Amino acid sequence: MPAPTLQRHDTPAPTKLDALHHRLDALERSAGARNIAVAVYDTATHGSFRRHADRWFHAASTIKVAILLGVYASIHHGWLLPRSRLHVRNRFFSAADGEPFRVAADRDANAEVHAATGKMMRVSELALHMIATSSNLATNLLLDLVGLETVQRSLDELGIDGIDVRRGVEDERAFEHGINNRVTADGLVQLLRTIAEGRAFSDELSQEMLAILHAQEFKNGIPARLPRAVRVAHKTGEISTVAHDAGVVYPPGRAPYVIAILTEWAPEAAGRSATIAEVSHAVYELLTGTEELVDG
Amino acid sequence: MGEAHRFPLRIVDGLRLEKPMRDALLPGRVLYDDGGQPRTLPRYFYEIPSWEHALNVQLSTNFALWEFIQTDVREAAPLRTFPRYVPCAVTLLALALERFRAGAGTFVHIAANGGYRSPRHAINTNATTHSWGSAVNIYRIGDVFLDDRQAIDRYAALARQTIPGGFTREYGSARGATDDHLHIDLGYVLSVPHDAPADHLGFGSERRAS
Repeated sequence: MPAPTLQRHDTPAPTKLDALHHRLDALERSAGARNIAVAVYDTATHGSFRRHADRWFHAASTIKVAILLGVYASIHHGWLLPRSRLHVRNRFFSAADGEPFRVAADRDANAEVHAATGKMMRVSELALHMIATSSNLATNLLLDLVGLETVQRSLDELGIDGIDVRRGVEDERAFEHGINNRVTADGLVQLLRTIAEGRAFSDELSQEMLAILHAQEFKNGIPARLPRAVRVAHKTGEISTVAHDAGVVYPPGRAPYVIAILTEWAPEAAGRSATIAEVSHAVYELLTGTEELVDG
Repeated sequence: MGEAHRFPLRIVDGLRLEKPMRDALLPGRVLYDDGGQPRTLPRYFYEIPSWEHALNVQLSTNFALWEFIQTDVREAAPLRTFPRYVPCAVTLLALALERFRAGAGTFVHIAANGGYRSPRHAINTNATTHSWGSAVNIYRIGDVFLDDRQAIDRYAALARQTIPGGFTREYGSARGATDDHLHIDLGYVLSVPHDAPADHLGFGSERRAS
């Protein structure tokens, strides 16, 4: 286990951070997770918490936040407008061999974009579907439109490392060839922090991205065990061996914090969302200073 | 023909349009097809003042103009606003599709980017008949989505039967084939209606190309 990292000494006390590390160690064992990585950045204190935060994971659908950034980079540069319309066509080319593939409708959480096949949807609609309901079809359409290079260049220009965008989603041949999108907890926190602090191209565009992240419909992770009044702008991601959630948490009456929780599991393992929710709850307790944290 | 039956859209000579539009339409210019053959692009276009016009102009019993001009953000910028322009051959295409639809006996849906695309549309490769206004991509007929061999082969055969001289692309994923729509076209058709500006015969580019 790495030593607790405390970048500022005015937040929270080392003993509390030690307690959080111990709590996560215990949780990792009891849940049967292969790995739990956590990165937190508190905008109130500029303090951070890191646990395996530079370990690379398969990104699953968390990569969609980076693609969202690429879409807004294109809007920023004037190449696109949110109201620009795009042909909904379910035909993409594998990053492994260039062969065409489709996103199977029964493997996609969103049916609305599939229902528009042959027609057009606005970029803003597709971006919302990509994040809020994790539409794989919307994701590949947008990535096809803006291009991998735009996404990666946007990350690079904003000084965000720890996110490696190599392909669209549901590209099975690329997966078999080991060509995967990867993220670290640190990388996702950097990205979300850039958006939350209004530094992603402009304050206005950052706010638009945040609004999309606030529309997230999958709430079994970070928000699940937080008080109802806490707003969370986030993106989940899950495939057979990983489950993640990363977002910006807005406790009432307090500045927000940014958190990424990345977990790796055996394919048959259960309890993934509950584990992420438990980690989120533990961090919330730490940063909001409830009695439970002190007791824990 | 009485005034009441006149076609409601004005015909324009593409060579007389403003430069940004000429640069998008490339009227009378030559492109090369997949086989390396030179093909002369249309010079005469119908002018579509607004989306309302596109909705209201019926080209045949079952096909309206708007169905042939749905292009996305990858279309050249001048053609993403109005007035827009579509080659005059689009009326012939609509008539041909009407015969096809009669054979199909149900609704025929043209895909976005599946009607007219300017030569500057970003998804084009070489000289596509879509830039002549003589091609369509059909993604759905009735309740059948044309995304497998059976459906595409079935309706391709119907197209060849109902549109004499019509061309359809084969099913497949290779270049020149299709696997998620049916492509039908009439070839590199140049249509010059009687209302076309009278001096068209005197223009060099078209004479050289003929």
